[in-house]
Amino acid sequence: MHPFDMKTVLFAKHAQHVVLIHFPIALFIIGVLFDFLAQWKKQRLLAAAAYYNLLVAAIATIPVVITGILAWQWELEGQKLKGILLMHLVMGCASSVLICVVWFIHMRTRRKQEEVLPGYRLPIEAVAVVIVALTGHLGGFLSGVNGPG
Amino acid sequence: MRRSVFITGLAAALVLGMGVLGTGQKSSVASAQEKMSTMEVKIDNFSFGPVTLTVPVGTTVTWINRDDIPHTVVSTDDSKTFKSKVLDTDEKFSFTFSKAGTYPYFCSIHPKMTGKVIVQ
Repeated sequence: MHPFDMKTVLFAKHAQHVVLIHFPIALFIIGVLFDFLAQWKKQRLLAAAAYYNLLVAAIATIPVVITGILAWQWELEGQKLKGILLMHLVMGCASSVLICVVWFIHMRTRRKQEEVLPGYRLPIEAVAVVIVALTGHLGGFLSGVNGPG
Repeated sequence: MRRSVFITGLAAALVLGMGVLGTGQKSSVASAQEKMSTMEVKIDNFSFGPVTLTVPVGTTVTWINRDDIPHTVVSTDDSKTFKSKVLDTDEKFSFTFSKAGTYPYFCSIHPKMTGKVIVQ
């Protein structure tokens, strides 16, 4: 592989998708935690912290989705996926959409300068955390973090 | 008369026995050739086994995925001499090596997984 080849930069040894994925996962879960705490403690500061975590998490999903799809198209030549790979792709897309939906709910409330965030966001956030965790678990399984070396 | 019958019988038995032995030898040679012409590499626990396989020209190497995780078998050279599809558990990929040389390969999903086929 050529060291300046784009495919090499993206995938050789340190696959970028595997590295980048940790940012939206961590930011989203912490953002949801802050949001639940803000709801419980009625603190604006925590709600603001939750918003900015969710904003950066939503932005961070973009390179993750791009590198994931590029890995599929380049490394596996876009072949029809099945099994764990297909499940990871579907759940990854669902996770990205849910992260963006949660951020959008928060953003719309702030833009409208409404005092209270809608209550229905909390179950959406809880479901999103579960799907993100499952997607990450599948990704870890695929990347072989439990394998030798 | 009896003697000639005995000699004829003995000669027939010898010819028959040699024939049977010859067939046995032929079948054992054939099975040895068959063994040489197909070799297997097992994929398990995120590794290829054996990591380095030495085979004669014309051998077909079959990789079989015994792992729970999907893997691929892709030659490292730029021309990608061989490249499998994603192999799920118990799926196989075969390639016949018609030229002598060293063929390093890896799993494109897990680049740390590497192996080598030496064709002599």
